[in-house]
Amino acid sequence: MSAFRAAVLEHFRHPRNRGALAGANASADGANALCGDRVRIELLIEQGRIVDARFTADGCAVCIASASVATEWARGRSLSDMSILQTSIVHELLGGAPAPGRERCLSLPLDTLRRAADTSRTS
Amino acid sequence: MARHLIDWLDSAASDDAAALATLVSASGSTSKKIGAKMLVGRDGELAGGVTIGGCVDAQVIAAADEIVAHGGRRLLGISLDDDEAWEIGLTCGGSVEVLIERIRPPSTGDATAVAYRAAHRALDLGAGAAVVRVLDGAGGALAINEHGTRAGTLGDASLDDAAADIAREALRTGHSQSVTLTTTSGEHRVYVDCLVPVARLLIVGAGEIAMALVRFANELGMHTIVVDGRDRYASRERFGDADEIRVGMPSEIVAGITPNSRLAVVLVAHDYKYDLPVLRQLLRAPVGYLGLLGSKRRGAAMRDLLRADGFTDAELARIHTPIGLDLGGRSPAEVALSIIAEIVAVRTGKRP
Repeated sequence: MSAFRAAVLEHFRHPRNRGALAGANASADGANALCGDRVRIELLIEQGRIVDARFTADGCAVCIASASVATEWARGRSLSDMSILQTSIVHELLGGAPAPGRERCLSLPLDTLRRAADTSRTS
Repeated sequence: MARHLIDWLDSAASDDAAALATLVSASGSTSKKIGAKMLVGRDGELAGGVTIGGCVDAQVIAAADEIVAHGGRRLLGISLDDDEAWEIGLTCGGSVEVLIERIRPPSTGDATAVAYRAAHRALDLGAGAAVVRVLDGAGGALAINEHGTRAGTLGDASLDDAAADIAREALRTGHSQSVTLTTTSGEHRVYVDCLVPVARLLIVGAGEIAMALVRFANELGMHTIVVDGRDRYASRERFGDADEIRVGMPSEIVAGITPNSRLAVVLVAHDYKYDLPVLRQLLRAPVGYLGLLGSKRRGAAMRDLLRADGFTDAELARIHTPIGLDLGGRSPAEVALSIIAEIVAVRTGKRP
């Protein structure tokens, strides 16, 4: 089994930061209209910094793993850091990339996380 | 529960009275189901019906008028074999029994009204309930909900116990019936009026099997709810006859639907991204049926993952997978038929 696949399955079985975030002050929902993945990212932001990040999802293993590592990555970072959150960072964190047809599964939580951060900046 | 009876119980003034006529038994062919009700008001107003109408209903109304005016109760036996109608083939044949009793609003302590009010409260909370009355003796009424909670009495503790047992059994099938009970105080003929919440079918996964499921469920009078995360699938164009279409995170949608024994849930997305989170929501919920589309191997793998989440073998055994009775069909409509058949078999107790 590849390192990527092992990491994805490990995060799928034991996701980090899964569940609603009490006291969240920013959030966004994301959906893949074709495969049906659904993700919500909730953030607690204080003074321009992400203090806590959690996710809720009905998604495939790649989607869940991506949300798991992305919320880990986001904690403690500034809102401006969210602009550098690209799929390449998640590839590095998971030890590889999914098959070409599954990139959208991996990018959905990242898009949703960036939008959640944006809602804070625009509100 | 008959809407007109609920409305009357809710709105009748404390000095009001009416006659409640209930079809309690039938032999031969009748167009109304046992349990059909007619309410006859003090000023002659009618709501509902117990028979096919015509001369038969006229006999019920005449007896009801008498009872509204002077009180009491009566078990009216009526033959449907009108000789002239029989000759020209216009009668269905058979006979019916109609229990007619005077009722007053629940606030007066009227036993029948209080029992139906208790049963209606159970229905509001999504639980089935039965109201039992003695047919061959004095009044009295006993309400029993599917959790065993009782209200009222038939006037005899041993009869109450026997009635509660038969009511729970009747609630399992949902069929109202007249039966004879033997207790320490003798034989008693009673009528068990089953009041069950509308059966609901919750379908997760808006594919072709779901489309066929909605069609079959409609035939059975079930309330259908179609759930998916994709609005291109769960659309009104594809599910024109569905009662509800909900698009969103399936596990969250399911969490917002009140479970009860009349709720059947079928997972036909054939996608673990929905199956696992929805099963986590429902394995400890009191739903009447929980089915999962997939092979034995897939079902076993799903159970293994859920077992690791802390679900017990008894909880996991509630999942019907492979889903449906084995009818041998493969097309979406055939699979849907097998699923609907299994739901009915579970409800009637023909299948665990």
